[in-house]
Amino acid sequence: MTRDIQGYRLSIEAIAIAVLLLNLSSAHAEYQAPKTLFGHPNLQGIWSNSTITPLERPYYATSATISKHQAESWQQRGNAYIAISEAPIDPNAPAPTTADPEIGYESFWVDRGTDLAIVDGKIRTSLISYPSDGKIPYKTTTETKLSIFLSKIQSGFDHPEQRPPGERCLVGYGSSGGPPMLPVLYNNHIQIVQNKDHVLIHVEMNHDARIIRLNAEHSPLPTWLGDSIGEWQGQTLVVTTKHFNAGQDCRASLSHWFCMSENATITERFTRIAKNEILYQFEVDDEESFTDVWRGEIPLRAAAGPIYEYACHEGNYGMENILSGARQQEGENNHAHY
Amino acid sequence: MFSRKRILGVLYLMLSTSVGMTLSQHVLSEDNLSEDIPRLANGKPDFNGVWQVLNTANYNIEPHAASAAMVLKAGPYGDLPHDEVVKLGAVGSVPAGIGVVNEIPYQEWARKQRDENQKNWLNRDPEIKCYLPGVPRATYMPFPFQIIQSAEAFFIAYEYAGATRNIFLKDPGPAPIDSWMGQSYGEWENDTFVIHVTGNNDQTWFDRAGNFHSDALKVEERYHFVHANLIRYEATITDEKVFTQPWTMRMNLYRRQAEDAQLLQFKCVEFVEELIYGHLRRKRD
Repeated sequence: MTRDIQGYRLSIEAIAIAVLLLNLSSAHAEYQAPKTLFGHPNLQGIWSNSTITPLERPYYATSATISKHQAESWQQRGNAYIAISEAPIDPNAPAPTTADPEIGYESFWVDRGTDLAIVDGKIRTSLISYPSDGKIPYKTTTETKLSIFLSKIQSGFDHPEQRPPGERCLVGYGSSGGPPMLPVLYNNHIQIVQNKDHVLIHVEMNHDARIIRLNAEHSPLPTWLGDSIGEWQGQTLVVTTKHFNAGQDCRASLSHWFCMSENATITERFTRIAKNEILYQFEVDDEESFTDVWRGEIPLRAAAGPIYEYACHEGNYGMENILSGARQQEGENNHAHY
Repeated sequence: MFSRKRILGVLYLMLSTSVGMTLSQHVLSEDNLSEDIPRLANGKPDFNGVWQVLNTANYNIEPHAASAAMVLKAGPYGDLPHDEVVKLGAVGSVPAGIGVVNEIPYQEWARKQRDENQKNWLNRDPEIKCYLPGVPRATYMPFPFQIIQSAEAFFIAYEYAGATRNIFLKDPGPAPIDSWMGQSYGEWENDTFVIHVTGNNDQTWFDRAGNFHSDALKVEERYHFVHANLIRYEATITDEKVFTQPWTMRMNLYRRQAEDAQLLQFKCVEFVEELIYGHLRRKRD
């Protein structure tokens, strides 16, 4: 693993926030979801996948699940970070440096959840459930691809195309809209609407509408978020997504970062296991990028809403500031040479 | 076999699309037209599907003759395409339109503002920068949109810019904040779905002709089946800061029925990066 990736890991360690354990029933199998007008299990509503469980298992977690007591120590670490984050700002402090990438986000702006993910009543230390070590089974070439991508985030300021898709407002940060749909720092809400032939997933971050065509064939066109078709298998909606825009190969947020190829196939499974919970399972299959498939599980919990308008592009002062700042710095550096 | 109601429906459609008709005319009541429309199991009209207008309202919602370009300059024998668009040739010209409103009742200052907007179209039209279109312009952009409707929800996804609208089916109260697409609350008046759009910001336009509004904009949309593949759409505009009185635009929404009747992707943000950020690229040494 490269130094860049290790650096991201350490930052995740630092912002591990509070853990509140949900008293979820393990009797999910007995739950029968209500039906829609069209006779399908009803997944409709607003849901949140926010959790402080990272995609991959951190080095300090030695097992796939932990006890409530162990989870409390994660909570203490998170509380310490929140206390620092909410402390009054020193008006005499120097300007932030690139070594403090999260300094702009005090806890007021962050909505990444306070819970570790609980699946089947067990507290998970990674969203990845397979392979059993909770790690993405990279091929060496994909690790290199990821390393270059992460490096560019720190150094690519020449053109807008060098910035990640989230900063360009092409899709949400990281793999927010997915698939697989993974939690990020904020805006972790989705809305599901169903009719007879479609399931719509409205992803709050970047107002992306995934329109899943039921019992249909794939379109050959590459698209952001891929082309999704689905079918009902009993109580479970199974969604297959292919044909990704290559610009979405690499995805990074503060709690996950990975690369795949535009030829990946993502399979998602949505099962309503309680009135207030959907179990979201996914599998990433991409022989070009990985030595094996990898799978994950995330609880989607009912949320009050509403979904807010994420008009990213319309207010993207960040991109202009990033590029103009870089040009200003170049000018100063060139001036210093004379 | 043609029922009386179906004949009336055809007559309504012919009249409503014929050249020269006064657009505000209603020769038949809406409820006379709803015989064979699709319905959900709960009895509500079923608007599920992919829909699109067939008009030139996005160029100009008022009646307009064809012209050489969206922005013009004076020439020796009449108007010419402006220098910045002249290379587009016929592709940049404007098709005629009968209009979806006869004349917008602007306040005097606002009409001058509209004319000024038109002259500065390239710099001011939010569509050029791929900004969210707002309501009602989202409806008559030259792209399809898809309605996903159930008993519990009514959602509209637009191909243009990936714009989205969730229509609340219970009154959510005042919008928490102004937004590009506004806050939508829908209710049924018999077979007509009426959407009240509030919380609009003042950044969107009605068309490419500079027609605009303020943040006092309120829109009442009415969706009503003429027949299974045709929706009559009305949008009543209220904005006391800009107009002397409320006014209504009317048009037809056609169901897309062919093999391509699915929403494709038009995420235009990346298409305008050069326009917006091109001057900030690093110049090679």
